[in-house]
Amino acid sequence: MSRADPAPTRSAPTRSARARWARTAAAGPWLVGVLVLIAGVVLFPAGYMLWNSLRDISEFGVDRGPAGLENYQRLAELAALPRVLLNTAVWVVGVVVITVLVSLALAQFLDKAFPGRRLVRMAVIVPWAASVVMTATVFYYGLDPFYGIMNHALVDIGLLDAPYGFTKNTVPAFAVAMGIAVFVSLPFTTYTLLAGLQTIPGEVLEAAQLDGAGRIATYRRVVLPMLRPAIAVATIINIINVFNSLPILRTITGSIPGYSADTTTTLTFKLIQADRQVDTASALSVVNFVLVLAIIVVYVRVARPMREH
Amino acid sequence: MTRALRVPAVVLAAGLALSACGFSGNGGGGGDGANQLSLLVPSYSDGTKQRWEQVIASFEKEHPDITVSLEVQSWDNINDVVRTKIQSGEAPDILNIDAFAGFAQDGLLHPAEEVASPETLADFQPTFVDNASMGGTMRAFPMIASTRTLFYNTDLLAQAGVAGPPKTWDELLDASKRISALGNGVHGYGMPLGNEEAQAETSIWTFGAGGSWSDGEKLTIDTPRNLEGVQAMQRMIEEGATQPDPGATDRTPLINVFIQGKIGMIEGLPPTIGQIEEKNPDLGWATAPIPTKDGSPVTLGVADHLMAFRNGGDKADVIRAFVDYFFSKDVYVPWVDAEGFLPTTKSGAEALSSKPELADFLAGLPEAQFYPGANRSWSAAQGSMQTLIGQLGQGKDPAAVLAEVQAGVEG
Repeated sequence: MSRADPAPTRSAPTRSARARWARTAAAGPWLVGVLVLIAGVVLFPAGYMLWNSLRDISEFGVDRGPAGLENYQRLAELAALPRVLLNTAVWVVGVVVITVLVSLALAQFLDKAFPGRRLVRMAVIVPWAASVVMTATVFYYGLDPFYGIMNHALVDIGLLDAPYGFTKNTVPAFAVAMGIAVFVSLPFTTYTLLAGLQTIPGEVLEAAQLDGAGRIATYRRVVLPMLRPAIAVATIINIINVFNSLPILRTITGSIPGYSADTTTTLTFKLIQADRQVDTASALSVVNFVLVLAIIVVYVRVARPMREH
Repeated sequence: MTRALRVPAVVLAAGLALSACGFSGNGGGGGDGANQLSLLVPSYSDGTKQRWEQVIASFEKEHPDITVSLEVQSWDNINDVVRTKIQSGEAPDILNIDAFAGFAQDGLLHPAEEVASPETLADFQPTFVDNASMGGTMRAFPMIASTRTLFYNTDLLAQAGVAGPPKTWDELLDASKRISALGNGVHGYGMPLGNEEAQAETSIWTFGAGGSWSDGEKLTIDTPRNLEGVQAMQRMIEEGATQPDPGATDRTPLINVFIQGKIGMIEGLPPTIGQIEEKNPDLGWATAPIPTKDGSPVTLGVADHLMAFRNGGDKADVIRAFVDYFFSKDVYVPWVDAEGFLPTTKSGAEALSSKPELADFLAGLPEAQFYPGANRSWSAAQGSMQTLIGQLGQGKDPAAVLAEVQAGVEG
């Protein structure tokens, strides 16, 4: 008996591994559809982008053969690149940080019971439900110096002497675009954090109170740590969204000359539409892809959002 | 009700026809595709699509064996659409767009004489034929033309005490400053340097200094004469003669501001006349030749082209039937007239010469200078001009701006 005992324990893992494989293989036919979809929708476009970035493509879309790394070299030589990278950093960090901070406050507010809370909660969703291009266009026309209603209002109440081209000058236009990006990112972020808040049991907060923790200490030591996973999800999704966001910037800063208000994403579009360089634009897209991956890896490493307590 | 239904139906039909073309093309030139023509056109106005549908319907009645599928795209998208189609081997049979040289040099186009009868070819005006030729071979059909001319607000000029429309840059600067001084949201000269069409306004100024964008072979952006024109533009901006932020103002919205009576002078096109009549018929306006450095007349001419792609198989006969039909006087003249442009054929010019409001534009044709559309780098040069020229309004040195555009072309 005692000699026979070890044998089953040693072979158990192998058997169960084999069993797991068998189960996976049995699930195969049901996974094919999804795998084909992933290959077609995710892998193929990414691979095609990489392929294009290594080809020499004419202004009119004719593939003239391999280009090696020339497209990347041309990209590195772009005089506007440092400014564009700086803009991208300001854009992503600024929008995401402000969004998360404002959302934390909003979520806290919406978590409290007050009359009409349901209506206020619904109102917060509105910017989310509206099309981003539409929201941005509304602001763009509102701020137009010739017929913009917001510009007129500012003149009428005496804040401005004459209409000002908010969307026609680099810094104010970029700031307006960031404001709109925060505005449209708030609903999702607020609701994610609100969901996180509602998972915090009341007993924990009571216990903190009994232990003599003040409001600020309770928030910093109890609520925030318990919100960590929700904040992590909101931050990562916002980083990706904001980094790749095109419509707001194109609508608001699209008519600004030069590259002073461009991020890497809008520069990609200018390379395609104005300069007709699909190949260089593909190279920039690859760089974009790597950048956003790198940012998320750094974020996950530094902030350790998923750390268990 | 019927109209609401018709549009989706046409889109659906066009989509089906296009995908059918695509598949038969991939299958190695199926026989049924030979009598199908695909036509890709930009939208010039709200009525463009309907006008093409009428042309196609009557063409199909005359040629029951041929079916034509129509795709209409906005000017914002059409370049991307064409590029994507070419990249995936689904080029349209007939394309209407501004520049043809790149397609021709990539070997994608039929020479004009392969796809049009001698009578049709002989009817085009010689200046346009030159403009549509490369190396002595006509590569595309000049389809519509426009020239620019100065539109001015007669009331604002009178209020500012300006006797008549300016002829030289100095007079223009002086008149514009006086109109700007009227205040109340009124500005002297409308200068649209936003990315919609910055190259047009820039060309008007550089041509006005005797400059040009090409020496026949190479693009010549950064030249002393062009620099003179661009410097004059910046002088207008810096002395407050233009609307604010010209670098970020697009043409279409700015022409609307002129139509609302808030701008003294602006360079307009033939369709501007119709827009004024439609949106603000009470506006007091008139046209005059474009002011230049020394007052000698010049204008920017723009011709859009129709071109035929080689798509394997032998479609030349079918394409020729359509091209001959479209450029026949009875079909072509009403089309051009309805869109408000100038005709490129001799018979068309004759037919429309009696219209008084077009007189200033038709008279400008002999002095018109065109974009160097036969140079394949022009598309990219135009693109970088649209992106970069506006920096003049931000105080950037004109020489540096031109150098930046030129560098983009060579790169």
